Amino acid sequence: MAIKFERVNFEYISADGSSFKALKDINLEISDKGEFITLIGETGSGKSTLVQHMNALVKPSSGEVTVYGIKIYNDIKKKDRNVKLNPLRQKVGLVFQFPEYQLFEETVLKDIIFGPKNFGVKEAEAIERAKEIIKLVGLDESYLKRSPFNLSGGEKKRVSIAGILAMEPDILVLDEPTSGLDPKGRDALLELFTSIHNELDKTVIIITHDMNTVYKYASRVLVMSEGELVFDGDPLKLFTKKNLIDWNLDLPEIIQITRQLEDKLNIKINKLPRNVDELFNIVKGVL
Amino acid sequence: MNIIEIKDLSFSYLEDKPVLSNVNLEIKKGEWVSILGHNGSGKSTLSKLIIGLLKADKGEIVVDGLTLDEETVYEVRRKIGIVFQNPDNQFVGVTVEDDIAFGMENLCFEREEMIKRIDEYATKVNMQDYLKKEPHNLSGGQKQRVAIAGILAMNTDIIIFDEATSMLDPKGRDKIMEYIKEINNEGVTVITITHDMKEAVHSDKILILKEGEVLAFGKTNDILNDKDTLNSSNLELLLPLKLLYKIEEANINNQEIKDILWQLSLNE
Repeated sequence: MAIKFERVNFEYISADGSSFKALKDINLEISDKGEFITLIGETGSGKSTLVQHMNALVKPSSGEVTVYGIKIYNDIKKKDRNVKLNPLRQKVGLVFQFPEYQLFEETVLKDIIFGPKNFGVKEAEAIERAKEIIKLVGLDESYLKRSPFNLSGGEKKRVSIAGILAMEPDILVLDEPTSGLDPKGRDALLELFTSIHNELDKTVIIITHDMNTVYKYASRVLVMSEGELVFDGDPLKLFTKKNLIDWNLDLPEIIQITRQLEDKLNIKINKLPRNVDELFNIVKGVL
Repeated sequence: MNIIEIKDLSFSYLEDKPVLSNVNLEIKKGEWVSILGHNGSGKSTLSKLIIGLLKADKGEIVVDGLTLDEETVYEVRRKIGIVFQNPDNQFVGVTVEDDIAFGMENLCFEREEMIKRIDEYATKVNMQDYLKKEPHNLSGGQKQRVAIAGILAMNTDIIIFDEATSMLDPKGRDKIMEYIKEINNEGVTVITITHDMKEAVHSDKILILKEGEVLAFGKTNDILNDKDTLNSSNLELLLPLKLLYKIEEANINNQEIKDILWQLSLNE
């Protein structure tokens, strides 16, 4: 197992001395063999804190996280002075929310090769990777010469994702990657993650508020609520559960409309549709 | 009475790449108009032109009888408040109350009046318990509510929401939409800029921008009925509307289902 959480708790202590439990007794396993996971839950439910544990950006207050064989626990630096956490950040690539704010170099090329060079990749090789990866994220090579600051929001996001991909992580974690994008930009990015997942066989973990994304793309969904992992499993199973409201989650639009039609037409639809064509066929059948 | 009139407006950042071409638009006092379009359709540029942050290459903007130019721009801005997309980019105050006061300070309100209004509008957006807090500790939705309180306190006739909900979670988004409805019900002219048709259906009228041109402008019901225009807009259609169109295309004559889907589209 690439990542394993065992009884992980995490507590923030703020400046005035008060504390806040962001993670409560988390147990979780994630493989690096091609999972497509979405992580959902209200703002403040602990999603971002959870993923920051996946490459040791933060350490548990208690319990332990094992990432690629390295055990991470609260006082790891005291007990083991020689432990190197840096390599984990190459294995598990984390793309923060609004990664476009983190672009800083003169050219797109320099921005993309910054990460790999930090992990000891030779400049010439890093440049070769950049040329490949810029195409993978749906931009052409001419972008490498441009300034990252003159790009559109969607293009900037792609460049910052390219910078993480250039480090060749096995697991790619993205914190609300489509927030602020229009539907076209959102779908294009999600298709990109799907192709990274399919073609490079990488595990992709996406934090999102969009239930349509969960239903359409994910093979597994994790739900956080008030610091607890309250669901881990198949998205369809999640959306047929009754406690969605307790966790402040919506239904995907297609299921919402299906339920409303069941109600108004006084019918029962057993197999939930995945898209509007399937719903159309169901409706046609009952009219 | 038209509170905003836009005539033949054109604008470009680069000479041969027009961002807006020949835009015409009339907004009546008290109306709620949604400007709907993709990223890059020119919708945010339009809002920046209306408040005089950008200068048009061609055409005219009249706000409440005042033709926008270098001399009237400050007076025009007193009439229009704007809430931007990113809640983090619009904070200047050290505390929430400082922030709400900022707009009023610029308009030279009396101190007593300001204190009264901070309290009134913070309460209106349910942020009265956060007045002494630092804005950066708030959630995105709370930040947008503070921004709205600051704008409302300035008592402008028109408020523009420039994708003000697009970075919020669903709960934060619903809350902001509730406030927009309420503000509009109280007589404020509202312009919401969005790519989300679900938000636009709440407004009185919809303007669809496509590549800098007005593709359609009309009453919300008429726009939703205009299948050809909507299909050519490349916008993401509401799911019940998509289903309704499919049923019509298949010549299924069942009025009941059509009515149901129409209501669902309007979110009723």
